[in-house]
Amino acid sequence: MKQVTLEMAEKALAASARWASDIAGFACSIAVVNEAGAVIAVHRMDGAAALTVDIAIEKAWSTASFNLSTALLARMVDYRKVGKQLGDHGLGLLGKSKGRFTPVAGGVPITNENAEVIGAIGASGVPPDMGDISDTSVSQIGVSALYDFYD
Amino acid sequence: MVMTLELARKAIRIALEHTRKTGNICSIAVTDRNGVLVALHRMDGALIPTADIARDKAWTAAVFQCPSSEISRYGDPAAPNSGFNTSNWNDRITSIPGGLPIKDDSGVIGGIGVSGGTPEEDMAVCEATIWALQLESDNKA
Repeated sequence: MKQVTLEMAEKALAASARWASDIAGFACSIAVVNEAGAVIAVHRMDGAAALTVDIAIEKAWSTASFNLSTALLARMVDYRKVGKQLGDHGLGLLGKSKGRFTPVAGGVPITNENAEVIGAIGASGVPPDMGDISDTSVSQIGVSALYDFYD
Repeated sequence: MVMTLELARKAIRIALEHTRKTGNICSIAVTDRNGVLVALHRMDGALIPTADIARDKAWTAAVFQCPSSEISRYGDPAAPNSGFNTSNWNDRITSIPGGLPIKDDSGVIGGIGVSGGTPEEDMAVCEATIWALQLESDNKA
């Protein structure tokens, strides 16, 4: 697959939303973006908080524009990981791109057969520290649902 | 009735069908009655800004409870609430045609915004979607 289409986005969103409601049990917002971070489709499940829409979009945007899941981006801005060398950390990323940069776990990249990032899924709505149930797992289900589109 | 994801997806499906018939490529957004986004789809190949503009139109139609094109009436100094059209307090208000409130017997339950074609085409898609939704709810009742 070359790029994320609306058809793929709808399939991923349906799978993520289903998993979030039936297994995780939290109302989430889920967003799918293309390789540039431009929105393709967004769903807010019934009962999900209003702010989760924008957070989901921006998690997906952060993932697509950094080619990294936001769980890994969060490590970059973790002050406990500050290195011994002066400036050996990513704390300067905070607030980048007019505040859109969102280093909060929940964004997962969509990759093609050559492991190049062609888009991302972002989810928001699951509280942190829930063990195996997290925003990341909600997004990951959406990525898994795209297996049909691989050659 | 309140706006649900199911209803929003139904509205978007109807709007997408209608848009494909006209051969246009566009973005469609549906908000609840508070203007908070419920679902947003950008068709393959639709210009990137159309996604945000569709969302803006849906927000404007839902919170002002009128077609987004009618926001320009607040430009009349004699009109009540004159000046709303330029306040832009959350960078979302727009007077571009193509946003309509979704109503039922209880009043406004949401908004729909379409962006991608000419103002007339966008408006036609909104109207067709709302008609189709109304027909469905009438049939149920």
